[in-house]
Amino acid sequence: MAEAIYDAMGSVLTRWTMGSAAAPAAAVWSAELGAEPAEAELRLLALSGQFLGVAVTAEPPLELRVLPDIPALALPTVPEALRPLVRRILAAFMETQRKTELLDFLAARGWTCHPAEWMPAANDEDAPDVYAPWRDWAGIAASNSVVRRQAGDQLTADNWEDFWPAARKVALSELRRSDPEAARTVLEAKLASENADVRLPLLSLLATGLSEADIPFLEGIAANDRAPKVKAFAASLLARLGKGPAVGEDIAELSAFFSVKMKGLIRRSRVIQFENVKTPAQAHRRAALLESADIASLARALSLTPQELVEAWSWDVDRQADAALTSLVARTGTDSLVAQTAEAASQCNASFFLDTLTPRLAPGQKSELAERVLRTRNFSFDMAKTIAGGTARLENPLTAPAGATLLAALRRDNAKPSDELTELFALGLIASRTAARQALERLNGAGLLQGDPRLDMLRLNTALDDNGVKP
Amino acid sequence: MAIDLKAIEQLATDQSSLKAAAGLAKPTKWSGVGVSHDGALVWGECAGSGANPYRVMADLRDLGNKCTCPSRKFPCKHVLGLLWMKAEAVTAFAPADTPAWVSDWLGRRRAGAGTPKAPPNVAPAADKDLRAAQRAEPEQVEDPKDAARREAAAAKRSEDTERAILDALDALEQWIGDQLRMGLSAFVDDVTARCRRIAARLVDGKAAVLAGRIDELPGRLLALPPGDRPRGAVVELGKLVLLARAFRATPRDAEIRRAVAASETRESVLSNPETLRVNARWEVLAEQVQTRRDGLVSQTTWLLNLDNDGPRFAMLLDFFPASVGRRGSVFTPGERFQGELAFYPSRQPLRALLVARESAEDAIKAEWPTPETAVADCLTGPLLAEPWTLEIPVLLPTGRIALDDAGHPWWRSADGANTLPVAGSAEGLLCGTDLKRTAAIWSGNRLTILATQTSWGRIGGHG
Repeated sequence: MAEAIYDAMGSVLTRWTMGSAAAPAAAVWSAELGAEPAEAELRLLALSGQFLGVAVTAEPPLELRVLPDIPALALPTVPEALRPLVRRILAAFMETQRKTELLDFLAARGWTCHPAEWMPAANDEDAPDVYAPWRDWAGIAASNSVVRRQAGDQLTADNWEDFWPAARKVALSELRRSDPEAARTVLEAKLASENADVRLPLLSLLATGLSEADIPFLEGIAANDRAPKVKAFAASLLARLGKGPAVGEDIAELSAFFSVKMKGLIRRSRVIQFENVKTPAQAHRRAALLESADIASLARALSLTPQELVEAWSWDVDRQADAALTSLVARTGTDSLVAQTAEAASQCNASFFLDTLTPRLAPGQKSELAERVLRTRNFSFDMAKTIAGGTARLENPLTAPAGATLLAALRRDNAKPSDELTELFALGLIASRTAARQALERLNGAGLLQGDPRLDMLRLNTALDDNGVKP
Repeated sequence: MAIDLKAIEQLATDQSSLKAAAGLAKPTKWSGVGVSHDGALVWGECAGSGANPYRVMADLRDLGNKCTCPSRKFPCKHVLGLLWMKAEAVTAFAPADTPAWVSDWLGRRRAGAGTPKAPPNVAPAADKDLRAAQRAEPEQVEDPKDAARREAAAAKRSEDTERAILDALDALEQWIGDQLRMGLSAFVDDVTARCRRIAARLVDGKAAVLAGRIDELPGRLLALPPGDRPRGAVVELGKLVLLARAFRATPRDAEIRRAVAASETRESVLSNPETLRVNARWEVLAEQVQTRRDGLVSQTTWLLNLDNDGPRFAMLLDFFPASVGRRGSVFTPGERFQGELAFYPSRQPLRALLVARESAEDAIKAEWPTPETAVADCLTGPLLAEPWTLEIPVLLPTGRIALDDAGHPWWRSADGANTLPVAGSAEGLLCGTDLKRTAAIWSGNRLTILATQTSWGRIGGHG
């Protein structure tokens, strides 16, 4: 019976689609439909509707692809009870930057986000390394490729293809830390076969453990790579090794914008003076030259070492020059010069430019800097957070001037419930667990309700065990 | 933090609010009443006229307040009732961590929003009298003749309504016949305008629920792949014919009337001796909020019965006008509680009212039940009793999401016997793990996943 109905349905549907009577095509139900044509159509409609709704459902294709299981990460997901809090913080901040800071915070404390709350995309380079397996899972989901064998071994040029891209980058990063030569050898063999979007982050791993042995490889990239960004990055790594390209007329022209004077009567010391920037055109030209220069060449042209140049720099005189120097050092300075420049800049108003240098500092250095600028430069918690990111564990940040400012703002008569959201989030992110608990008590004492959603980050910090490795 | 009755009196917009609040300031009307540890916030859930309870919250520092009821009065009677209970210590407010829904409100509210302000032409507070509000009105003794007259008028009204509905259903069948004659291809192309016209006719004919269903028909039809729309149209229109015929056969059947004209009131469901009442542990699967074409917002809460007695699913359904603005969620998906539900009389009880809610310590750890019925029977069985049903909740056994070439998701049972198309897209965790149990809505052609249990814990489905 069902077969006969099924056979009839094709022509019934075709007739109705075109607008002609279908009852004559459904002989199988002729008794039920009766003789009256209009009534027969309605009865057929009721019967066919039921049949088509129950017996005819979409036929699955022969080939269906099942994605592999989402792998467990090296760190556990946050405890079940804290998931709603994490979800709410993620929902409150749509910006990727804030999400990254929260993920960094969780990873630094030894936790990861639950995959129902957040998962990275395959190309999410900002996601902490611990999420590499999920990035690769997202890559598998987005592509049609079959799952490749995951090699648990050390990365080599031979097993390069066995790794998915994010896991491979993490493996290369680990290899670079343990055996810089081996990591470079792998890159020498494999970098050219990757596309530019992949080459750049891979090449950036060489910044760790950079040595003279890397020079020939980097020179090759700087000269021959197809992508300007990759070439520029290789050139900046070379500059950090004292192999800057800027020689000749440009560097002579740039050095003419600066002069080295002596000051002091008893303890004579060098100071840099800024010359010839009387017109916007000159300022523009100086900025353009600084963008293409490297710190070692500039120092050499002024007969100084890079360290002496930074030491003699006159901070807070020419803000544009301060900004240009910090970015020049960040791009072409050695690690120690970056630390020296950050230290010098943190003593003055140029500390506003610290965020260009901080990506090159170690977590411990970042925390120290953030602590210092909070205490001495009256920085806000948000700016301290920009410097230290989610990995700081500052003690007593609320006793810094920013804390007093925050408490005063919250106590204002016209304070709104959404005020100081940014500062409270930043405080929750940079504080140690103990400091977060103290801050919560203090803020509750200052009139903020325990359930206030602005305190979510502080609450998460307080509730989450700190299982991370301290720098 | 204390609050005095004078402040409540001032806060009320009028005496009738106070009167209504007096009726609500009783512990039996409330569940989950609590106060924050710092004493500043109070909250509770109050049974209203809808299926879902209202969530009521107030900040005692400035009397800022919020209620999820659709009342246009601010503050509403529920807020006043809650404050009243607090002021007079009518019930114990257990100190507790602030629930997320109260925190969410706190983050959104404006400072001083609830502070009582005295507008220049405000009526003196004496016009609103708390004590007077508490006094019971003397019951008026009704003249038996009046009662008989009223009953006769009601019977006449009911008869008129029935006749109007039957006329409207005639018009509907005529309209369906016209659509077939003009061709379903043209119907699909012009479905929105055509459905709007007949829906308007049905509203005039007092078949409001059916009108709402037809108003939403274009949305359901156009969600199908173009090639499947003629079949979809036949299914939709065929169900309308069945429903119209069912009404003609039994116009007084409560269930059919509910699908055509209007639902019973909360009071009549609760007072009906045939009403099925189930006290069980429930899990909130999902909440669906949809703005309909008729200007109403429907709020559907799907519940899963974690015990073995009573219907497996319950649906709490409320409507409120879109003009009232965004309404807070009543439940949080994943939340569990012990509670009594009253099911609207039906061959397959599903739609329900929440009667009472208790705390549920032992509900927290309860496992999802094992599906009792084979998948194919789950999908079709309910149609035997109610062939016009559009949505069937199902509890599926272990399965997994698989993707076709176009990336569209399918749910496939672990034994490979059933493969069902899933509505929309499925991303992330949903596709990357075994789904041990899945609660979903089957709408005849697509599966909408409400929630699922996995080795990663419970995860929500679509939206």
